[in-house]
Amino acid sequence: MKETDKSADLSRLAMKRALSGSLLLTFRELWAMRLTQGIVAVSTLAWLLLSFAMNLDVVEGSISALKIFGVASVPDEMVKDVATGEWVRQAISVDKFVIGISSFVFGAAYFLGTLLGLFATMPLIGGFLEQGRIDLLISKPLTRSRLLTGHLLGVLLTVLALATYLILGVWVAISIKTGLWHPIMLLSIPLIVIMFGVMYSVILSVTIVSRSSGLALILTYGLIFISAILAAHDQLEKVLSPSAKLIYRIFYHVFPNFVEVVMIQSQLLSGEAVSSWYPLFSSILFGSVIYGLGYFWFNRRDF
Amino acid sequence: MSTPAITTQGLTKTYASAFGRKKIEALRGIDIEVAQGEIVGILGPNGAGKTTLLKILLGIVSPTSGSATLMGRPIGEVEARRKLGYLPENHRFPPYLTARQTLDIYGRLSHLSADYRAKHIPLLVEQAGLASWIDVRVGKFSKGMMQRLGLAQALLNDPDILVLDEPTDGVDPVGRREIRDRLRNLKARGKTILINSHLLTEIELICDRVAIMNFGQIVRSGSVSEISTEGTGWRIQCRNLPNALDLSSYNAKREDLNTVPVPVPVPVPEKEIDTGQVSQDEVNLDPNVEKVIILDSGLTETLNALIDYLRANGINILSVERHRRSLEAGFLDIIDQQKAKS
Repeated sequence: MKETDKSADLSRLAMKRALSGSLLLTFRELWAMRLTQGIVAVSTLAWLLLSFAMNLDVVEGSISALKIFGVASVPDEMVKDVATGEWVRQAISVDKFVIGISSFVFGAAYFLGTLLGLFATMPLIGGFLEQGRIDLLISKPLTRSRLLTGHLLGVLLTVLALATYLILGVWVAISIKTGLWHPIMLLSIPLIVIMFGVMYSVILSVTIVSRSSGLALILTYGLIFISAILAAHDQLEKVLSPSAKLIYRIFYHVFPNFVEVVMIQSQLLSGEAVSSWYPLFSSILFGSVIYGLGYFWFNRRDF
Repeated sequence: MSTPAITTQGLTKTYASAFGRKKIEALRGIDIEVAQGEIVGILGPNGAGKTTLLKILLGIVSPTSGSATLMGRPIGEVEARRKLGYLPENHRFPPYLTARQTLDIYGRLSHLSADYRAKHIPLLVEQAGLASWIDVRVGKFSKGMMQRLGLAQALLNDPDILVLDEPTDGVDPVGRREIRDRLRNLKARGKTILINSHLLTEIELICDRVAIMNFGQIVRSGSVSEISTEGTGWRIQCRNLPNALDLSSYNAKREDLNTVPVPVPVPVPEKEIDTGQVSQDEVNLDPNVEKVIILDSGLTETLNALIDYLRANGINILSVERHRRSLEAGFLDIIDQQKAKS
């Protein structure tokens, strides 16, 4: 019995070693592409700006003065006076300021980060499947699924590390400046990683099937564009004919709702109840199905 | 009797185009058995199915039907590949990795421990003649250096079976000799080696056995010497053979002079050269000039008849042996016969 346990432990250790090889290969490639260094540099710049170039004066929960690079301004907003019923200018509250900054950083990281990240990681899967490389990898004593998982984990862990570096840094900088610690902002990190993962499923699977990472990127960007149209379902469904509405609804339920997920994050940041988690869950389901197809094809195709 | 290193039974592979409209039969029932410790060369023209066969053994391509084993294990099992080394044709190592990092990653993928990798990687790199390049990015390596590194990678897990696709491609003659020596050492250690190469002279020098493939089938297999002598006639070495002697009725010919050992020069009197009256036959009649006759027929009756004829004409016969072609000539003959049949 003990011998069996020992043998199973050794086998598990060997498999972990093999997985670490696949992970390391992906990390090194991302490092060599200078992608990680570039994003780290931009993120560092973002939270250094927030830390040193921005000065805030908070009086009774409102921003009384804001200086960016020494230039003073008072962020304000139009609010309705309850007594008179008139719209008046009023200094913005710290809460709203934090939500605004957080939403901006999340939006930038979500859209720009995902679009650039997909563009930058596109050659990665192309290189991984290149003749002369994939055949050597497959000849090693590990299953194809494990090999692909190592690659995928490498990409997703890198995205997680980069998103954490940016969001956590910005969160700490803003929180120190304002004295308000809203941990809800950190939910942006898993949201970015999950939605990047959903969109990367298309890059991965289409490249496996077609061997064209360019085609995969075009399709992925196409889906993001379609998701912007699908996000306006409340307005568009009113003007569509019944048959067009049916097609629109099918698209809405089948395709990832990349743009609509931003609304979930906005509601979370502003402390509102999330109106619907459906866009996130349907996107995860879409990604899971596409990954399933990608894994299935990767396991059975000849290289 | 030990388990064969490699076996295949009725292995077929059919590639189908999109929607299955066009089908290409890459392999049509391959049956081979390679014993442990053998070096076997797979030969064949382009498109014969050699690479497909190797890729099926390595699990890179799945067979349409048939089965195969490596050290007794079915090829589909991950464990079957644990003690396997592979050098693909035109392999592409990530150019941003150094030689050490490359071998480290492929070592991990082969389940090798950190201690083993730390000990063996510098050793293998040194054996490959790349010791001073160990921490240089492989993107800077020449084709020959990449090939040496590729071989080091294939040997990293001390494999029982080594599959090499064009191992000497791009390697200079000195490097090729080193690779040959290493392969012979591996054979001496009981390793099984399967080689696919277009350089038939390399195959001839290394392999115990060759399998010739054409149109997805093994059309001939045997030892290098069997392939080289198969269907060939006789080689007769003699002296005093005048050019005028007619050999055509025996379907025999004089071998190209370039392939005959250079005869000892015979001093010719200056006077005769000056007058230009010395015939070639007279020079050849010198007892020191050796000639070779190639008899196409392998029949001993024809050989004996020719020997009688030569002896009757006063020709001094030095030796009679089976005519041995180069492996390349044998290979081309077999492929030509196949073409003629098809």
